[in-house]
Amino acid sequence: MKKVLRNPLALIGFLIIAGILFLALIAPFIAPYDPDAINVKAILLSPSAQHLMGTDGLGRDVFTRMLYGSRISLMVGFVAVGIATAIGIVLGAIAGFYRGWVDTVIMRVVDVMLSIPTFFLILAVIAFLTPSIWNIMIVIGLTSWMGVTRLVRAEFLSLRNREFVLAAQALGAKDSRLIFTHLLPNSLTPIIVSSILGIASAVLVESGLSFLGLGVQAPQASWGNILTDGKEYIQFAWWLSLFPGLAILITVLGYNLLGDGLRDAYNPRTSQR
Amino acid sequence: MLKYLLKRFFWMIPLVIGISLISFFIMHLAPGDITTSEASFNPKASEESRQKLRELYSLDKPVIVQYGLWVKRMATLDFGTSFASHQRPVFWQTKDKDGNITLGMIQEALPITLLINVLSLVLIIGVALPLGVISALKQNQLTDRGITLFVFIGFAIPGFWLALMLMYWTGVQHSWLPISGLESMGHEHLPWFSRLIDTLKHLALPVFISGLTGLAGISLFVRNGMLEVLHQDYITTARAKGLNENRVVYGHALRNALLPLITIFGLSIPGLIGGSVIAESIFAIPGMGKLFYDAVLMRDFPVIMGILTIGAVLTLIGNLLADLAYAWADPRVRRGVMQ
Repeated sequence: MKKVLRNPLALIGFLIIAGILFLALIAPFIAPYDPDAINVKAILLSPSAQHLMGTDGLGRDVFTRMLYGSRISLMVGFVAVGIATAIGIVLGAIAGFYRGWVDTVIMRVVDVMLSIPTFFLILAVIAFLTPSIWNIMIVIGLTSWMGVTRLVRAEFLSLRNREFVLAAQALGAKDSRLIFTHLLPNSLTPIIVSSILGIASAVLVESGLSFLGLGVQAPQASWGNILTDGKEYIQFAWWLSLFPGLAILITVLGYNLLGDGLRDAYNPRTSQR
Repeated sequence: MLKYLLKRFFWMIPLVIGISLISFFIMHLAPGDITTSEASFNPKASEESRQKLRELYSLDKPVIVQYGLWVKRMATLDFGTSFASHQRPVFWQTKDKDGNITLGMIQEALPITLLINVLSLVLIIGVALPLGVISALKQNQLTDRGITLFVFIGFAIPGFWLALMLMYWTGVQHSWLPISGLESMGHEHLPWFSRLIDTLKHLALPVFISGLTGLAGISLFVRNGMLEVLHQDYITTARAKGLNENRVVYGHALRNALLPLITIFGLSIPGLIGGSVIAESIFAIPGMGKLFYDAVLMRDFPVIMGILTIGAVLTLIGNLLADLAYAWADPRVRRGVMQ
């Protein structure tokens, strides 16, 4: 971790994510208004001391809604990627450890999933279920495990015949012991890197879905659905579009910088450069 | 080469079966049966169209039979008719008994999306290639840092937000570019050249938006590929025997750095097709993405299933073409040395 934070870009990424996490945690204490309180006397006010980021078409405080939106964005990112990583580790470990026909079957399933345009797949599932934050998280998770699977499998394949693993096996270690104490810990860094980068894309997908009206549903605030309002009022209320967009940009940038920094720190080939 | 081609072709068969299974599975995700959930979502659904849906997917038969019938219809490219758009055929045109032709929805939308994607690819290659090469040659200098920053922002910026901002700035504030649709009013009365300019103006923003992520990705990819190749022994050899730097960079290094790009393009096809949803629905462009989005909003199941299947098949074809191109470009692959 020290090594990572010595990389200035990774440090910036870490600070961004930590900052957002902090704001999301203390949102109820610092939010100046109720996120859902409609105020007809304060419709579409531009940013001021009372309303730092102005108000929306229903007179709700945008700053407050942005704070609560950060919770959604964090939650979707972590839960969706948690699901994807769990599936990816299990399938990738099985494929890479046992090889043979199990490997073939799992990798063909990966190929199939990769050949269906992901965004179409997500939208189709949402169309058959109903849009809600839980469905979004599950659907994003269930459609983005393929990268981790390939990664874990590749790591396992390359580690499987290393001497320390063979030695452990020769000493009579069970499969589960080989997997959990030898192979998995040694593949952890790339898994963490790909998870962090995965959170970045999950945040983008969620905001895109919410923007299209198929994600987090009103009145619950998400950066994506604040932007939907922004589109509506784009001619007279720039603040409704600017702030959520910047928030998404900065968050995703934060995850990407952190993920890349982590990868560089642990990859001797790129860190030499 | 023929052997490779055949092998590659047969390898697609399990994938097609898998795709059909997944699409079929999604259709059965709906709680209860899709005719009831459709009725609860889509006010336009009449008892008649519900009956049609039941017939279309043979919902009264056992699941295995349903799947078999569904696959049989897919194989003949029969995707049924749309609920929302007055029973228009989903995929291809039909002729009624008076000889009137009704165009298929995908038939109309697909060329538009393909055009946008091809133009985005041209944009990506035209911009990302030079950026990546310059970045690698000026490694760690200011230019490289600037390009890297651009790449990071390109990755992180939400496409729909940038689309909104650009729409506002170039369309609403300055009226430089039209903000929606493919053609201006009175388009059909213009001479062909003005018509072309008109269409290109309409396409400028959507093409830029759908190409942006790819642009960032490919720049980074070319940069890293070039750096990798430039450290190889044969580059040192080429320099040592006194070739000028241009020959070394463009003749030796670039050609090899570009090889993996073919695969990357193949892999980026589903992203491009899927990404068309956002660009097309914001700019109101009647392509596959907008068609799909509208179908999702209307719960127009035959259209959803049709586009899902066609999109996957297009991806498979794209990957196949990319693999063939790779085999053509790299003799190691076609002689089976690799893989």
